[in-house]
Amino acid sequence: MKQEQPIGICEELKFSAFFKSHAKALRNFLYYKFGNEEQADEATQEAFIKLWENCASVPTEKAKSFLYTVANNTTLNHIAHKKVVLEYSKKNVNHDTNNQSPEFLMEEEQFKVKLQKAIANLSEAQRSAFLLHRIDGKKYHEIAEILGIGVKAVEKRIHGALLQLRKEIDTFR
Amino acid sequence: MNENVTLAKWLNDEMNDKELKDFMALPEYATYSKIKEFSGQLTVPQADMDALYQNIARNRNKAHQPKVRKLNPWMPRVAAILVLALGITFFFYTTKTTTQIAEAGKMDTFLLPDNSEVVLNAGSEADYKEFNWDSNRKLQLNGEAYFKVAKGKTFDVVTPVGTITVVGTQFNVRARNGRLDVTCFEGKVKVTNGKETVFLTPGKTVAYENGTKLNLPDVKATKPGWLNHETYFGKVRLQEVISEMERQYNVTINLNAKAEKRFNGTIPMNNIDNALDQIILVYHLQAKKEGNIITLSAE
Repeated sequence: MKQEQPIGICEELKFSAFFKSHAKALRNFLYYKFGNEEQADEATQEAFIKLWENCASVPTEKAKSFLYTVANNTTLNHIAHKKVVLEYSKKNVNHDTNNQSPEFLMEEEQFKVKLQKAIANLSEAQRSAFLLHRIDGKKYHEIAEILGIGVKAVEKRIHGALLQLRKEIDTFR
Repeated sequence: MNENVTLAKWLNDEMNDKELKDFMALPEYATYSKIKEFSGQLTVPQADMDALYQNIARNRNKAHQPKVRKLNPWMPRVAAILVLALGITFFFYTTKTTTQIAEAGKMDTFLLPDNSEVVLNAGSEADYKEFNWDSNRKLQLNGEAYFKVAKGKTFDVVTPVGTITVVGTQFNVRARNGRLDVTCFEGKVKVTNGKETVFLTPGKTVAYENGTKLNLPDVKATKPGWLNHETYFGKVRLQEVISEMERQYNVTINLNAKAEKRFNGTIPMNNIDNALDQIILVYHLQAKKEGNIITLSAE
């Protein structure tokens, strides 16, 4: 995260650099909320265009929070949320897969599917906080900044998310 | 459990050794551990961020205009139509003339915007503009009317013969065939006829006939007689008296006789036979009635 761009973001190069450093995270965040790539793309574009339109009045250090504020507001306009569909990274697959018994692998696959479903069933607030941590590797204070809430509230959401996930997975074992 | 965020602490590796040990002893630990492991492997379906940026770059320069452009074709038109409609309405409203007419045989009483009362005698017409009435109290009169004017600024009655200006008063105006009779009943009345200006006090009457001023006796009544169907004529040509009777009774009266003498007196306007009798008596005439047509001829 490069937040120390000099004056204003109206300059093409600065804007493009700012986009490179923030767009992906913003899009991910929006995807956690909408569960819909198209809407996430659209909202990401909208947020950046709004930022460009207001670049003169938004100081660089405020640009990020401006971006997320716009994104958070756009969220309210979309009602039809879809289920979040997340894929598992291929490269993270265990090296010694070959040594595992087929039963174990089966169980693992089942668990993965259950986890996907359970995440999709989380509340929007819990899911966003949880996935920002797990996928984007954001610190709690960063998540707090993105969501516009306190760190304590983030911890509560994460705690609640884990509790909920564990319950759902264990219940449908 | 409300404020318990231990799971969040654990996920963020913030637990101390003892806490961790206790946590790991829980039967649920296995599942939590797996959640942590596998959720870390999750990925978001990725977009072509360059394409996204191109999109933004393309739209952002238009970004200011599209909103304007969307409104452009309509907003000015709608605004123009509104302004036009408003203007037309205002124009008609400000120039709209209200007309009150009392037909032959009927009187008409109406109130002006300031609650001034006007009684139109039969066969009379009054025009005025309601817009801005309070600061422009002006009324055009053709015929005869009695005014009971509310207090306020000037009040003008414009007749073909002259203009009557009053301040809070009651007065009668008769403007017929080039003759103007103004009688003041209360307050003060200013009558302007050409260059001449006359002020009337209660009971005084002024009359002009074809530019000549006529002197008429004072009136003792507090209201014009015609309000009670008793019309007073002061030095009026017989033809005019007959015209007034035609208006009041809604009949046609033909005068087939010469009558130089002017009429002075009161004629009832609710009983045509009595009215005719008076005329016949004064002018030595005889009357013949055929339906709505009355012929007066020499005896």
